[in-house]
Amino acid sequence: MRSRIFVAALAAVALGVVAATASAGVQHAQASKITVWLQVDAQSGWPDVVAAANTQFQQDHPGVSVDVQYQNWSDHLQKFDATLAGGNTPDVIEMGNTETTKYMAAGAFADLTSYKGTFANSSNWLSGLAKSGMYGGKIYAVPYYAGSRVVTYRTDVWKRAGINKLPSSLAQFNADSKILAAKNKKVKGFSPVYVAGTDWYFAMSFVYDYGGSIARTHAGKWIGNLNSKASIAGLTAWKNFFKTASKAPATSDETKPAPYDVYSQGQAASIIGPGWFSCCVGAKFKTTTAQFVMPSHTKGQPMPGFLGGSDLAVPAPSKNVALAADWIKDFTSTSAERSLQAKGNIPNATSLLGTSVNERAAARSWFVPAAKHWVDVENGNILRNMLAQILIGKLTVQQAASSASDNITSVLNGA
Amino acid sequence: MAVAAETTKWSRRRRLTWARAGRASVPYWLILPVVAALTAILGYPIYSLVRLSLEHYTLFELIQHHGQYIGLKNFSSVLHDQVFWHTLLRTVIFTVVNVGATIVGGTLIALLLVRVSGWVRILVTSGLVLVWAMPQVVAVQVWYWMTNFQNGVVNYVLTELHIGNYFEHDWYQTTFSQLGLVTALIVWGALPFVAITLYAALSQVPGELVEAAEIDGARPWRVFLDVTLPILRPVLLILTSLSILWDFGVFTQPYLLIGQAHINPSNYLMGIYLFEEGYLKTDYGRGAAISLLMLVMVAAMSVVYVRKMVKIGDVD
Repeated sequence: MRSRIFVAALAAVALGVVAATASAGVQHAQASKITVWLQVDAQSGWPDVVAAANTQFQQDHPGVSVDVQYQNWSDHLQKFDATLAGGNTPDVIEMGNTETTKYMAAGAFADLTSYKGTFANSSNWLSGLAKSGMYGGKIYAVPYYAGSRVVTYRTDVWKRAGINKLPSSLAQFNADSKILAAKNKKVKGFSPVYVAGTDWYFAMSFVYDYGGSIARTHAGKWIGNLNSKASIAGLTAWKNFFKTASKAPATSDETKPAPYDVYSQGQAASIIGPGWFSCCVGAKFKTTTAQFVMPSHTKGQPMPGFLGGSDLAVPAPSKNVALAADWIKDFTSTSAERSLQAKGNIPNATSLLGTSVNERAAARSWFVPAAKHWVDVENGNILRNMLAQILIGKLTVQQAASSASDNITSVLNGA
Repeated sequence: MAVAAETTKWSRRRRLTWARAGRASVPYWLILPVVAALTAILGYPIYSLVRLSLEHYTLFELIQHHGQYIGLKNFSSVLHDQVFWHTLLRTVIFTVVNVGATIVGGTLIALLLVRVSGWVRILVTSGLVLVWAMPQVVAVQVWYWMTNFQNGVVNYVLTELHIGNYFEHDWYQTTFSQLGLVTALIVWGALPFVAITLYAALSQVPGELVEAAEIDGARPWRVFLDVTLPILRPVLLILTSLSILWDFGVFTQPYLLIGQAHINPSNYLMGIYLFEEGYLKTDYGRGAAISLLMLVMVAAMSVVYVRKMVKIGDVD
């Protein structure tokens, strides 16, 4: 019974309050340990960058250890909420850039404005990331890294299908997908371009490419905008592309299964997702894998991609704000950002940007509405549900978009 | 009989001495620690839950450690929520189907266990115990693999048996299919407990009774209805009640099997509705209100069960 969990949570709250008040009396000026919550991406992708930051930090603060705890995207916010209730929050937490607004609005993070000068390249931070860490003119989160979405493809399969030129428009990409499908008929379940049915990051790129958007503001209120003409055109183009290119089930999402697993099993000629997908395409295809920028329906332009990214924040209850800010400084140093860049990420500042395919794709990007309740739209799966309904054919694009749009309006305005 | 016991107690009371009073109070002293422990681990949290349900308590209040009293607003907002009523109806149907399938299936397996030879019984029982021993999360993962779009063994077998083309059949496309899978998973996981308990209960059915009924010309179905079932009734009642409690508030299986990315108001069950409203939307006051409403419903179901149990006790 669910109430049992509530009861347990309440008991934890009660205990936490007692512990917090009890420990307040014996706080020492210097902590012996700071706790850092990073997402698993760092653990699997760049543990060396984490280790280097820790080494630097411990040189500056002998006797203070760093306890790095890795979290999963799916449940890290619930875990964080529990620590907020108990008062035993980590000292540094990584937040997705779509997750921060609600927490900043609730006062969950310490104000880092006065530390800005200590962070490397802070005057050139990527605006998309910097914005997601600001609220009411103050800085609550430091840009960590970003990632854009690109097409990862099998050069051998494309060549064998007789395609020698990468598509420079959506129409061309559609045509290439048809050729790829025809040439690989014998491979069971083969996708010319595997994307998950409810991968909303991908689908919304079409919406923004056609001039639509998820929501807009009018007279201080949010209004869902997926039912606008431009958004509908984008969703229709997305549906057409999906139907020709991907064999993924309508209800699938981009984590189950991971697109690179489909790819590494030889069931896809290409996949679309973050640039680091190239990490996991399998030893067999390592040498025949390359990436290109997803083309727009306007020839020669990239399609606007979702600029995902992470920020680092210091939870307000932390007793070690200065130490935490110092660790963030070490973890976002120029050399750390360069290492992240080398692994296929976009560094946190424009002054560090290079010319990789990932960085070129970021030239046109879109971002979720900067609304306090946006995270509820995400968690409520409003977009995913709409996409699945469109693909299954239960509702027309127009019907599904209208219903989702109404839903988004009410959620964003806190109803 | 109960009345007779009552009168003797009264007539004796007049002759109570202090020593006797002391001895009579021993049971109450013995039960005191349990009552105290229950008050502490159940009473206080429920008190807090009630208080929380009367407060506006979101992320902001969580950080401040201080809620804002708003009376019954959380309850009225939940009771005016269409999603709540749809979810309740869906959960009731879901519970009836799950409990029905579990009890009927369990009974059939138990009856089978009585009839089969020794080694088959050991084999079946071992299988049941293995199912029972499998952690829920692991079971969910196995079921998820079995129903995979392209490589699922269920899809493969159904296709090979020419039941239809199930290659690339998406089992997670409709609410009916999603909850159908969850039902299969839950019934599969609950069968062992019910079957083994009922098998134990069946061993209480006196062989002579069955034999006598058969000699009198009763057909197997009548024997089952008139001889076996009445003896099984108390056990069936307990199992049914427990199953209702479990299935009504079920969370792990639907949440993990359907998957967070596909949970939406069209496939909510009560446990998930509570989780989404209370935790994901960080509206703890509202969550507490939902949880109390569920508590009341479950308590109401338990009253029926407790009363029946007492009645059965009286008959004995």
